[in-house]
Amino acid sequence: MAGKSGRTIQAVPQNSAKKMIFSWEGALVVLFIALNIFNMIISPSYNITNILREMPKYLAEIFMLFGMAYILVLGDIDISVGSIVCLSATLACVASNAGLPMVLVIAVCLLVGTACGFINGIILTRFTELPAMIVTLATQIIFRGIAEILLGSGGSVSLKDTSGFNALAMKIGPVPLVFFLVVIAAVIFTVILAKTTFGRKLYAIGSNSTAAYYAGVKVQKVRLIVFTVTGLLAGLCALFLTSALFGANTTTGQGFEMDVIAMAVFGGIATTGGKGNLVGGIISAFIIVLLRIALGQINLNPQLILVIIGALLIIAVLIPGINNAIQAKRKMKSA
Amino acid sequence: MKKKVLSVLLALTMTAGLLVGCGSSTETKTDTAKEETTEETTEAPAKEETTEKKADEKTDDTASADGIAGKTFAIVVKSAGNPYNQKEAEGFQQIIEANGGTCIIKEPEAATADAQVSVIQSLISQGVDSISIAANDENALQSALQEAMDAGIKVSCLDSKVNKDSRSTFVNQAGTQEIGQALMDAVYDITGGSGQWAVLSATSQATNQNAWIDAMKSIMTEDKYKDLELVEVAYGDDEPQKSTDQTQALLSKYPELKVICAPTTVGISAAAKVLQDQKSTVKLTGLGLPSEMAEYIGDDDAHSCPYMFLWNPIELGNLGAYTAMALVQGDITGAVGDTFEAGDMANSPYTLTDAGDGGSEIILGAPFKFDPSNIAEWKDVY
Repeated sequence: MAGKSGRTIQAVPQNSAKKMIFSWEGALVVLFIALNIFNMIISPSYNITNILREMPKYLAEIFMLFGMAYILVLGDIDISVGSIVCLSATLACVASNAGLPMVLVIAVCLLVGTACGFINGIILTRFTELPAMIVTLATQIIFRGIAEILLGSGGSVSLKDTSGFNALAMKIGPVPLVFFLVVIAAVIFTVILAKTTFGRKLYAIGSNSTAAYYAGVKVQKVRLIVFTVTGLLAGLCALFLTSALFGANTTTGQGFEMDVIAMAVFGGIATTGGKGNLVGGIISAFIIVLLRIALGQINLNPQLILVIIGALLIIAVLIPGINNAIQAKRKMKSA
Repeated sequence: MKKKVLSVLLALTMTAGLLVGCGSSTETKTDTAKEETTEETTEAPAKEETTEKKADEKTDDTASADGIAGKTFAIVVKSAGNPYNQKEAEGFQQIIEANGGTCIIKEPEAATADAQVSVIQSLISQGVDSISIAANDENALQSALQEAMDAGIKVSCLDSKVNKDSRSTFVNQAGTQEIGQALMDAVYDITGGSGQWAVLSATSQATNQNAWIDAMKSIMTEDKYKDLELVEVAYGDDEPQKSTDQTQALLSKYPELKVICAPTTVGISAAAKVLQDQKSTVKLTGLGLPSEMAEYIGDDDAHSCPYMFLWNPIELGNLGAYTAMALVQGDITGAVGDTFEAGDMANSPYTLTDAGDGGSEIILGAPFKFDPSNIAEWKDVY
């Protein structure tokens, strides 16, 4: 356990320029630039207008990255977010079709998400011995199950009146509204994680929750807050997804949890907890999204695209290990 | 030492990667990208070149196919690894390429509307001329497809439709009247023109099945079918067990029964098994999947089903391609009453009819007959 807590000190962000360039985030920035050049070479359709047009659907997913990053830093995991999106989107559509005003529809969507996140949080903090993977696997099935019951035999619901959701899909100039919201959320969540005591508590819990507890951190309260907020973000994702799909069905949000976990892990956030930051997560999210857009534009087989992203993920996970091994050898030599 | 080796290796892989990356794209593109670094300057010459290219191709090929050469036609299927969809896409590609067009077959990442939205968005970016889609959801693609239409892309759907606001027209494999007629003729043929027959349907509310049964009933009022007696319409709810029970009930209730007609894939395979296992003399026809029905199809008494129907996905793809081309060329707009030529297809020229949802549709024609002569070939397809 000592080794683990040692890592915490390293994980706390330091404002040294040298550190920045040689850090994982620095590497991601280089990769991001290289990727854009690569994309421009392979796809003649890869330009700002098209990227902004193709992006809203992916941007909706990025909302959940913020919550997932916090959860991973805690050393937990939440694989139910895709199902929360499905349930929130379904109920938002039902509410909209029942004639509720748009403000209430938005409220329903966000509340359902928050409630689902809260349920995850309550179960995990009341029964702390339960692994988050299994609990959220169960709620993943339950939330989607409830959505499927609500959706009935047809398995889908579509909006009767799309005007409210159309307003959400609006663009300011060429830039979709959701882009600004993602940027705002990104700044807020990054700053909280990096600069506040709440953020420090997350790293402390992720590194060694027992030590954090004895240091006076209300571990379970923090976990409950993080899981609930993640639910809220899933509701937000559902809202913007619905504004693109004009409805919901049994497959809405399927696989989103894995997309988001992939973005976070590629961004250098370790699933073992206590490590990584949102700057890396956000850059990696855009790397994955832009790569998908460009490879889609050259009509690469979608399964091959998934293979490429999977391979990148493995490399991303391997590199810190290789790096550590090299450094350990160097230490041995100098000693 | 080791570190040096590692860095050399890394540098080598990176250069190799660069070379491979450049090699895969066309020469003109890499050149422009290499010469100009800023985005705006790269874009302009690249665009000019492509338009020039297109114009060249057009003048070259105008003699062979009017206005199709140089155009790009995309077909979006429901999912990857779906053999039925693959056959549709093959049929589509065949016709487009024979007419000098470029065909893009797009498979979504997953069998969801969500994944299809990404695919449509990507096709809009590429500036294709036409999108034909087999939709995973009737309404969810509306905003994406409307965006495509706003961008000047002709949108049609085939196999599985999108709502009327999301499409110009729908290429429908299953015309109610055609299916009713084919099934009624099959019953007439198998019974020998007289005797008792029954229907084994899905649920009592199933829209498709009810429409087909109603069509059969109205056809049966014709004089030709006066000796046929429809004894019962049984409902197996598209559950194998209930369909099996219902078949057994029909057999014990009507000893004189000659034919069961099951216009549902679940019902027909359940009934086929019952009849064949009991070595019943009652024969079966209807709509079924070749892969599920192969072991029951045969002319002799050992097999329960002499022949059955479903649609031919290749022909559906062909018609989808002709429809897309007609839309791009402006021969049709998607309005009811428009007509167009579809090469040497059996029912050409086709006319757009009212789809019953406020939009238009094109009906492929009579369903495809699966009998002992072709079932072996089709059972592996779908």
